[in-house]
Amino acid sequence: MSQPLILTDIDDASIRDAAVLLESWEVVVRRDRELAAAIEDVPGVRVIVTTTDNPNALRDVVERARARALPVIVGCANDVARRRAIELHVDEWFLLPASPEEIASRVRSALARVTPAAAALADRIERVEYEQMLYDHLTGLPTLPVMIERSRHLIKERGELIVLYFNFVRYSKIEEIYGWEKLDAVLETTAQAVREFLDASTLRSSRILVSFTNDDDFVFFHVPPQGVAAVTDAEITELVSNLQEHVGGRIEAVHGEEIASLFEIYVGRSHVYYNPKIRLQRLIYRGIREAANAAKSVEERERGRRVDDLKRSLRERAVYIDLHPILVADTRQVYGYEALARGTLRSLRSPEIMFEVAAEADLLWELGRLCRSKAIEAMKQRLTRGEFLFLNVDPHDFVDPEFSQLDAEVADPQRVVIEITERTAIKDYPKFRERLKALRQRGYRFAVDDAGSGYAGLGSIANLEPDFIKLDISLINCIDTNFIKQNLVETMVRFANDQGAKVIAEGVERAEEYETVKGLGVHLVQGFFLHRPSENALARTTGETPVVREADTIARVGGS
Amino acid sequence: MPEATLPSVLVVDDNHDNADIVRQYLEAKGYPVSVAYSGEEALSLFESVRPSIVLLDVMMPGRDGWEVCRLMKQHPSHDRGVRVIMVTALDQWDDKRQALQSGADDYVTKPIDLPRLVRTVERNAAALQGAA
Repeated sequence: MSQPLILTDIDDASIRDAAVLLESWEVVVRRDRELAAAIEDVPGVRVIVTTTDNPNALRDVVERARARALPVIVGCANDVARRRAIELHVDEWFLLPASPEEIASRVRSALARVTPAAAALADRIERVEYEQMLYDHLTGLPTLPVMIERSRHLIKERGELIVLYFNFVRYSKIEEIYGWEKLDAVLETTAQAVREFLDASTLRSSRILVSFTNDDDFVFFHVPPQGVAAVTDAEITELVSNLQEHVGGRIEAVHGEEIASLFEIYVGRSHVYYNPKIRLQRLIYRGIREAANAAKSVEERERGRRVDDLKRSLRERAVYIDLHPILVADTRQVYGYEALARGTLRSLRSPEIMFEVAAEADLLWELGRLCRSKAIEAMKQRLTRGEFLFLNVDPHDFVDPEFSQLDAEVADPQRVVIEITERTAIKDYPKFRERLKALRQRGYRFAVDDAGSGYAGLGSIANLEPDFIKLDISLINCIDTNFIKQNLVETMVRFANDQGAKVIAEGVERAEEYETVKGLGVHLVQGFFLHRPSENALARTTGETPVVREADTIARVGGS
Repeated sequence: MPEATLPSVLVVDDNHDNADIVRQYLEAKGYPVSVAYSGEEALSLFESVRPSIVLLDVMMPGRDGWEVCRLMKQHPSHDRGVRVIMVTALDQWDDKRQALQSGADDYVTKPIDLPRLVRTVERNAAALQGAA
């Protein structure tokens, strides 16, 4: 069988690389007006890619190609060329300069479109959807059906296959806190980092990586080349720990420490041996299930270890407080600090994880007490007179019989703002309000955290009569280019002004976001744009115990 | 330097009169406009025309605007730079939240105020420029 040909007037690396990406395609170059003639003369042409800016030449190419039912793809230098191409109903177009990946993908979709000659509208839509199922839109990785087809031959030849199942546990949390745009960006970074890493690893010989569409997990298939032994368990363990470090480092560099601390992978593996009596698909699916189960048991082991870590931390009071400054939007002067409790042990560094473990082990009250008392301590040592302390309190904590202990420790309740999250469902509303009222009478103030995170409008916020409204981070992320977010924040500011409350924008990471929220009348701001995490780490080392410093170093080494 | 061209707009509305009025108005302002009268048609045109801005009616039979928006924002061959403006009769908090969830960038309310619509298109065109 002869190789399929791309007939083109592009004579550079981009088209040759595209042919390589299409797997054993060949390129025939004919300059300018010779291209049209070549459509009839060169045998084996499957697709034509032209960049001509001459309208007559293009028309000529399109007509001759149509006569032979060949798709035409046009590389357009500008908008005029693009419109001309659309008017001529060419099969695909792209803007110059284009990457080999883009050209290859245009060729693929043009071919897919040509095959059923009079494809109905509905079919076209279906195809778009199927295409989405075959390639993950974010990572560009092929999905399972594609992979099975591609590797069928390889697996038969080698007789075995190793399945690695990567379970990224907390990605749904990222979505919940930061919104789907952030998760998409994090997934993109992850996929790229995983690819980089595997390219440089011992598994590079067969890079068949697939992803489950719309899921956070990746499955990796490794078919060892002929004459090379399959990787051992020890090698995989090492590989995984290096991978975790590599990906974690990249995520920290791109998305910051908070998100990186949520990042965790558990990897399970299984070995599939080819058996001609069983359908290949079934073998592979079975292998995936086994690998997924293995990943799950690694996760469970790790959970058990974490609960032990937490119990030890509670006993030794091994929690330290990070103070995140909250600034006045206009003047950038410090207004107060949010106290964030972190475990001294590395496994409990992220507050999200620490509280998650506490919830599982039914130790939420104990952890809450420790964190509050440490935060009050930090307030006494590190805050000056006029500054507020923002303290996270779970509605669950209000029913803790020892909650009133807080009073004994706090010298001036007027400087303490209790943050209640909108995310947690409040069960006994009247009782909850009663407790709020009692605390308010003693001078405490209240903030509604994560406001606007759900569909619930402003009514539920008004019910709590807060002094501060903290906007959900997902509303701030990229607010400078999203006009719906701007509108929502504007509404919230107007509402707060009516209620005599102040609005705090959390998660301000870029100058554009800062300028936008300031322009919308947001009163207070918080986020990495205003204080780098490194300054924070620096402040933390003063006056802390050696244990903290050690943990801090570990954390930094792990993250770099 | 070639003259600056305005970004192409795809108008999607199952009401033909509405769609045509919006098309005429935007074309008079110099925007290249394509029109689709259903979600299905919109997705098909989205592939061939690859517009920079989509004006998307929410209430349509078949695939509604939310679903079409989501599909457009996730389209594999698109660079995700497309700006989607939802056209909705509702102006409530949860509508806007839902618009965010489906990936929309902006919204206008019905009945359509044409000068306001153009301002909305303009600011999204400007956001596209900023991103480029």
